[in-house]
Amino acid sequence: MRAKALGLAGCHTCGLLLRLPGSGHSHCPRCAAPVHLRKPNSVSTTWALLISAIVMYLPANIFPVMAVTSLGAVQADTIMSGVIYFLKHGDWPLALIIFVASVLVPLLKMLALTYLLISVQRKSVFRKQQRTRLYRLTELVGRWSMVDIFVVALLVSLVQVGSLATIVPGIGAIAFASVVILTMLAAMSYDPRLIWDH
Amino acid sequence: MAASNVPGNLDNIPDAVVDEENKGFPVVWLLPLVALLVGGWLIYKTMSEKGPEVEITFKTAEGIEQGKTSIKYRDVTIGKVDSVQFSDDLSHIVLTATMETGTERHLTENTRFWVVRPRIGAGGITGLGTLVSGAYIEMEPSNEGKRQKRFTGLENPPVVKSDVEGTSYQLRTDKLGSLSVGAPVYFRQFDVGEITDYTLTEDHSHVDVTIFVRAPHDRFIRAGTHFWNVGGVNLTMDASGVSFQMESLVSLMSGGIAFDTIPALAGKPVAEEGTVFTLYENRAQTLELPITEVVTYALRFDGTVRGLSIGAPVEFRGVRIGTVKAIEMGKDPQQPDVLVPVVLVDLEPQRAAGYEDIDRATAGNQGQEEFELDPRKRIESLVKKGLRARLQTGSLVTGQLFVELDMFPDAEPATVTPNGFYQEIPTLPNPLEGILAGVNRIVAKLEKAELGETLTNLNELMVSTNTLVGTLEQNAPGLAKELHATIEEARKTLASLAAVTSTDGEIGNELYNALAEVTAAARSIRVMSEYLERHPDALLRGKGNNP
Repeated sequence: MRAKALGLAGCHTCGLLLRLPGSGHSHCPRCAAPVHLRKPNSVSTTWALLISAIVMYLPANIFPVMAVTSLGAVQADTIMSGVIYFLKHGDWPLALIIFVASVLVPLLKMLALTYLLISVQRKSVFRKQQRTRLYRLTELVGRWSMVDIFVVALLVSLVQVGSLATIVPGIGAIAFASVVILTMLAAMSYDPRLIWDH
Repeated sequence: MAASNVPGNLDNIPDAVVDEENKGFPVVWLLPLVALLVGGWLIYKTMSEKGPEVEITFKTAEGIEQGKTSIKYRDVTIGKVDSVQFSDDLSHIVLTATMETGTERHLTENTRFWVVRPRIGAGGITGLGTLVSGAYIEMEPSNEGKRQKRFTGLENPPVVKSDVEGTSYQLRTDKLGSLSVGAPVYFRQFDVGEITDYTLTEDHSHVDVTIFVRAPHDRFIRAGTHFWNVGGVNLTMDASGVSFQMESLVSLMSGGIAFDTIPALAGKPVAEEGTVFTLYENRAQTLELPITEVVTYALRFDGTVRGLSIGAPVEFRGVRIGTVKAIEMGKDPQQPDVLVPVVLVDLEPQRAAGYEDIDRATAGNQGQEEFELDPRKRIESLVKKGLRARLQTGSLVTGQLFVELDMFPDAEPATVTPNGFYQEIPTLPNPLEGILAGVNRIVAKLEKAELGETLTNLNELMVSTNTLVGTLEQNAPGLAKELHATIEEARKTLASLAAVTSTDGEIGNELYNALAEVTAAARSIRVMSEYLERHPDALLRGKGNNP
């Protein structure tokens, strides 16, 4: 017996147990927050956001994240070239952090969400608990991709020493930030209860 | 199972308030649309902004980094080096670079690329900024010519950028001297251009130097302009003394060329591009008259001609009339088996060409004599009148000699003698030589003279003088005593004389009285003569009553 079958759901905001109609939008009589049995259009919204994130991921890696101008020489770095640069200079912990935070995590997030969406759409019953865990992990870890953006923001605001050293952000940084935000939104709009619906 | 799971009282569960259906277009799908648009636009922008790709070949890639080195024109970046590769045979480096959009029309066969690195050249040190910022490739675009994408880079920056206006000329000289590419060209000590190139002519007889003179100074170069070398230091030590000349510090190091046009030729037309000029060795050479007519004579000297150089001047009374052409050996006419120096001189009649005008200007054409125009006949008649040649010291500092021609009416008569190919002007010895010869003669005479007798006589004189002095010494005391006594006597006499003649003495008194009388008599005679002058008839009539 599932609450959905009985048409019962709790308000997300105030927790009041309510009886909902089968479909359509309704709101809580107590706190007026929107109430749904399942997140409305979860799958399509998540798909939309996910596709946007994937599309924006390409410029995030092609275009430079920041450009360092030092003594007249301009050096523009993409995410990967930054990783390689740190590796070459023996700074492999930093390279590892950047790689994990900026390359691994977003890719895995996107892959995970894709998998979760497809599995829900195919009404799969495969390892539901694992999938739910995967979803929770994805949502938890997602925000840490912003580390790279924080680094760029800090560098840009601090390193403004005229012709000696100047850092300006590149298009890649903006694209990457949008990727992170979009994947976060995508994770937010995915309703994990759908996993258990089948 | 189902019953135990169902909660007891389902009736108290409140109902949710139904919202209005708002089945509009799911707005969220705008996001991927926007994302696609943005992504697509970015990619399109990058692809369309990508300019033409070019390949540049260099011998070395020193200072060039792939992905970093930029291509600049006038300090503005218009391209970037993407990759640095070897050519197939490993002989060159091939750079692949992406230029900015819109630069296709500037990439023609006349476009030049070179690497800007720190360089020390004739014009100074250039490219120091690249020590800090890294080498870059400078481009000189050209819109003319066929478009191309493969270029051969220059190893050195071009001396003249093609956007500078001006004209090129060729200078011909015997030797390169201290000239180098990039050395300056001066006009009135202004830097107006530079040397761009030099080569040996095909027959290896001359050096051709190409210079570039910037506008607007190129209009000062006319058909009659003279160019001379001002590189290094011009130090000459010749018969006229020592002279030291230097143009500038830059030309001291790297050479230089100066030019000027004498006012007489300023009216000639402006020289065209590529005109060939002669490059003279120094300014003095350009001011010399072009000598085309020479009359050569031989001069045979008895003494040494050391200190005489080829090119030394031949002067007549201080005015230069010729040049020493060669110094040879010839036979001494007096002693056929002895060789003497024979100097060939070129007399240049053109140097005296304007004498008539000067004459008229100063003396007023008084002499109506015809001046012999044929220089040979003239020299002949002058030699008959005493024209001789001799060597003189030109400068005591350098010790250089020159040939002096002058009229010596007292010289032994001689004529111009033919000497094989050349005619000879008779010579006199060097005045310094004359002095030396005289001294020699005196010394010889002294040697020959009979000094023995003279010395003996002198000896005897000395001896007798000695004796005399000895005698004097012996008799001196006696003599002295006598002298003393004589002086006493003389004094006594003088004293008595004085006493006698003074007015207190007898004689003195008498004398005084006599003198007084005489004076009185003279006075009365005078009075009488004066009276007689006034009254000449008094002689006859007597004094009467007249005063």
